[in-house]
Amino acid sequence: MQESELWITRIFNDRFGDLGNAALQLVGIHPQARPWANYILMQFLVFVLLVVIFAVLRARLSAANPGKLQQTFELFYGFVRGQAENQMGHSALRYLSFFGTIFIFILVSNLIGLIPVFESPTMNAPVTLGCAMATFLYYHLMGVQTHGFKYILQFMGPKWWLAFLMFPIEIVSHLARPLALTIRLFANMFAGEQVTLVFVGLTYLGVPVLFMVLHAFVSVVQAYIFMLLTMFYVGSAVSHEH
Amino acid sequence: MTKKLFFVLALMLLASCVLCAQTPGNAAPAEPFDPRPLAAGLSMAIASGLCGLGQGKAIASAVEGMGRNPGAAAVIQLAMLIGLAFVESLALFTFLIVFLFVK
Repeated sequence: MQESELWITRIFNDRFGDLGNAALQLVGIHPQARPWANYILMQFLVFVLLVVIFAVLRARLSAANPGKLQQTFELFYGFVRGQAENQMGHSALRYLSFFGTIFIFILVSNLIGLIPVFESPTMNAPVTLGCAMATFLYYHLMGVQTHGFKYILQFMGPKWWLAFLMFPIEIVSHLARPLALTIRLFANMFAGEQVTLVFVGLTYLGVPVLFMVLHAFVSVVQAYIFMLLTMFYVGSAVSHEH
Repeated sequence: MTKKLFFVLALMLLASCVLCAQTPGNAAPAEPFDPRPLAAGLSMAIASGLCGLGQGKAIASAVEGMGRNPGAAAVIQLAMLIGLAFVESLALFTFLIVFLFVK
């Protein structure tokens, strides 16, 4: 349900339509008239932007006199690491790269929608589903990597004779996690945009800016909550308490 | 006092039934009654109202905690924001359902 095309999408659909259709046919979708969607290109844009920023950061890393970019990212790193150590204790360092990536990707994806020419890719369900499935697969993989195949014992509950009851309950609650992650992020971003659009049609020129400020705040909070929940799930998957 | 109030309200209800009666034939709708916008409005109202109550409770206990222990204000504020975002997301699930099922 793509209402209007951004200028990037129009360029890609006009010039590179065949490339898009070839990519779609790899997964078995029939060729369409204008295959590139807004959110695919906005995701690529966020990806390219982040790779460029981090490449520049890496080139300018210096322990003796850090520049402004390095100090900004040291703040990010300190924040993510502090939160991870709160949630998971000292084994958090192994998983920091995933947490930081998820946080920065979702934060930049959310905030890029505030710029008038661009659109938040996280405003569309497939993108947030991708992030949630990445988290889901990651914490199960980390659980199996830590515990081996005894990871399945975590689903059995505390007593062996309760396992037949605990197993379906645990399966359902584990499946509800990516569902909730997807819908929480998607609905927050979608609702923020819709509310701003409604008020653009209703009131004077500058009033919807208040809703955009609220949307910016909600973007940051939702990115933080996604990261926090990821840490909690990874923490509970690799914990050695049982 | 309350009995009189209820009596007056019951009379008004009866009167409205009598006054809003229509002769059949000039009020036959061309298409059947579509309940979806009404359901959308009501469900969103209920979700937002209950979300407001829940968030109010969260903020109330957070602010009381900050008053009792001003040194822990930063941690309490963080926990309050996380709790608010979780309750907000429940109301937004309803918003999403409204957008999916009402044209």
